[in-house]
Amino acid sequence: MRRHWPALVSLGLILAAWTIATQLDWVSDLFLPGPGEVWSALIDLLQNGYKSRSLWAHAGLSLQRVFGGFVIGAAAGTLLGLAMGYNRKIEALFSPFIEFLRPLPQLSYLVLLIVWFGIGELPQILLLFLTALPVSAVAAMDGVRSTSVQRLQVARTLGASEWQIFRHVVLPSALPEIFTGARLAIGVVYATLIAAEIIAGSTGLGWMILDAGRFLRSDYVFVGIILIGFMGLALDRILLATERRVVHWAGKA
Amino acid sequence: MAGSTAQTSSARSDTPRIRPERWFSVSAVAAGFAAWEMIAAFRLAPPDLLPGPIVVAATFIDVLRNGYRDTTLPQDILATLYRCGAGFLLACAAGIPLGLLMGFRARLRSALDPIVQFMRPLPPLSYLVLLILWLGTGNASKIALLFLSAFPIVVSSATAGVRSVREQKLQVARSLGASDWQVFRFVILPSALPMIFTGARIALAVAFSTVVAAELMAATDGLGWMVFSASHFLRNDIIIMVVILLGLLGMSLNRLMLAADGALIHWRGVE
Amino acid sequence: MRDMISIGRRRALQAAGAAATLPLFSIGRARAAVPDAIRVAFFVETKPTMIAKGEGWFDQMAGARIQWSETGSGAEINTGMAAGSFDIGLAIGSSPTAAGLSQGIPYELIGMVDNIGPAEDMVVRKSDNIRTPADFKGKKVATPFGSTSHFRLLGFLAVNKLTQADVTVLDMNPNAMVAAWTRGDIDAGYVWAPAKSKMLENGGGLFSTYKKLDAAGYVIADLIVAHKAFSQKYPDAVVGFLKAYGRALALWKTKPDDAAQIVAKEAGVTADVARHDMEEYDFVSQKDQLSPEWLGMPGHPGKFTAVLMRTAGFLAQQKSIRSAPGLAVFQKGTNTTFLRRAVSA
Repeated sequence: MRRHWPALVSLGLILAAWTIATQLDWVSDLFLPGPGEVWSALIDLLQNGYKSRSLWAHAGLSLQRVFGGFVIGAAAGTLLGLAMGYNRKIEALFSPFIEFLRPLPQLSYLVLLIVWFGIGELPQILLLFLTALPVSAVAAMDGVRSTSVQRLQVARTLGASEWQIFRHVVLPSALPEIFTGARLAIGVVYATLIAAEIIAGSTGLGWMILDAGRFLRSDYVFVGIILIGFMGLALDRILLATERRVVHWAGKA
Repeated sequence: MAGSTAQTSSARSDTPRIRPERWFSVSAVAAGFAAWEMIAAFRLAPPDLLPGPIVVAATFIDVLRNGYRDTTLPQDILATLYRCGAGFLLACAAGIPLGLLMGFRARLRSALDPIVQFMRPLPPLSYLVLLILWLGTGNASKIALLFLSAFPIVVSSATAGVRSVREQKLQVARSLGASDWQVFRFVILPSALPMIFTGARIALAVAFSTVVAAELMAATDGLGWMVFSASHFLRNDIIIMVVILLGLLGMSLNRLMLAADGALIHWRGVE
Repeated sequence: MRDMISIGRRRALQAAGAAATLPLFSIGRARAAVPDAIRVAFFVETKPTMIAKGEGWFDQMAGARIQWSETGSGAEINTGMAAGSFDIGLAIGSSPTAAGLSQGIPYELIGMVDNIGPAEDMVVRKSDNIRTPADFKGKKVATPFGSTSHFRLLGFLAVNKLTQADVTVLDMNPNAMVAAWTRGDIDAGYVWAPAKSKMLENGGGLFSTYKKLDAAGYVIADLIVAHKAFSQKYPDAVVGFLKAYGRALALWKTKPDDAAQIVAKEAGVTADVARHDMEEYDFVSQKDQLSPEWLGMPGHPGKFTAVLMRTAGFLAQQKSIRSAPGLAVFQKGTNTTFLRRAVSA
């Protein structure tokens, strides 16, 4: 508790400034709903849901999409990256596409995906898959490349098979990078998901914010943003904790 | 610290290597284009859904000559780059000093870090409406969006950079009688610079990928606006053209930053 | 007062710039206040608004350069108005207008573009053989949320005692709807031209709902709103703006082919399509807009204010807005002094 007091102080200050600004009517309700309003909006949403779906349902749908796209994309990307790390030819084959795809603003090709694959879950999951893929691929490739050359030589002179080398030398060495890539990937996927729901959705937290924003219901918008923020934070922390455990275990190799 | 290893790893991997395998890459891209043209030529997909590369190239020339809906292509490209650059530079101008300060002062860090960490995963599009409401429909709201998306990354990496300086170095410097300013200037800053720079590189990438989102609402020019506008009129050829342009721009920006990073490493010398 | 803070800032900047040149102009121009530019939010659509825009009548008759901002929806106009970025909103739907007035966005209703009537309606698949409202059960209907079509669709469900459990309502903007329709992802759509025509051409049949819905009070219209800060300061410009639209309406009534040509060019469609789209609207003449049936005379608000109130009530029920205010808000929010001057001049 003692360690955390500066954080509490700053949060408290923000809360105070927020309350004062709205109480004194410096800014109209439309722009900045007061903390009290945001709170009652939250209760309202929890009790009555939003547009015939509960808040949990919206949040759940968003999470589902994140995991769907992320898991498939990160898995495929990691495999691709491992292959690219091992084989320069494979790397040469795929790297132009990866290099092109990685910085490409997701929203720009979401429009194409919708035109080609329609509404529904497919274009959204596809988009998230394509978002996660290059990030994981690059991370895995780096992980492989960063394996200490000495270790490889030692393993080889000891007569280890390729598979053994991969399993006991390369993989553990690459795991930290792979996990960091996964954390980066989930971050980007998460941001992209909200954008995807805003453009092409009828459900989900992202869509809820967009819809509430249409009618300038800033109180709902605030609730949505805060929820999205905390969800994102939680996802990151979960991955961090998982990383610590797995890498810890792998590091012992 | 979140993402710090990733920063160094991506620094290594994105470095474009000039290797004999280069012809492999070139032929892969060529094969991709050929496949695309085949699909279009053999009508494996409806032509207005997936126009072939030749059609898209013709569209590009047309837009270059005649503009798109009262805007010229250079105008749109510049508008997008301007917003991205302005947001990014502002984020660096505000974020680097703040991050450095937070690196020094533990109390400040524990006070502000939760806020920074909360901002980080927050998808920018979720608060765009609020920004438009507060700052109007012009460039201000868009630049603010890009600023907010890049800011937490810059701050985090600057903080991490300061904190990564090895304790011994600081002690050595201090025992040699260096003043606080000299310690900062000659020990901390050079050690922190690589991390700061990598953070800036990632922040620019994030800002670039967000700029299209920023042009989703209340925009009248820019490459992102072109995509959304073209989708209204079902001009898929224009959408594909802009996507390719955006990809090339993104790649170029990335390579530019890597080159700058490389130059910095040389100057830094061996660490 | 507080809503005008951001307006004040913007105007202050403009004023500072104007002040630099003021001494040169102050002598002759002291009387009539003329804006440097008028910021108008509009839609690219097949309506006579495009005539007055394309022919430059808005600019000429309002007496100032117009800064055109193309928007995607009434909701965007509301956001822009609230932020102080627009002076006039052209062809904003009655649904977003009701929401805006309810939430205290500082604008006022100054005129109508049209009464929508049959121009927005339900398109179903001919092959589905839908005869009665009950046939919609289990179907997927798309509409752009927050629009006048959305309002009508929800009215349709309410009037026919259908719930959103019976009928799946999907949020789609018009071109996404056309793509989804072609692919067979949706069974019906409630929307306007050109999406409506495209769907009809593609195996769609019209399931007409507007007569019943209009009678039940689900009247929808496209309106003209002006930011209060602007209209109070530059009433002459507002009058001129309305006159320009009146001129466009007159052209449509007297020379529809010429009108269709101009609209077609501005909207990027053929003249036939433009003509056909416009024929579906009920363009209430500006004189009629002043009658008790619609907006009424200054000081005697007409029936349309009640329509706005009902719209707001419906939106509040949907939780789209927090609460619906009483009739007085909509009456005070309607200002036909400019319209009267435009008509009589």
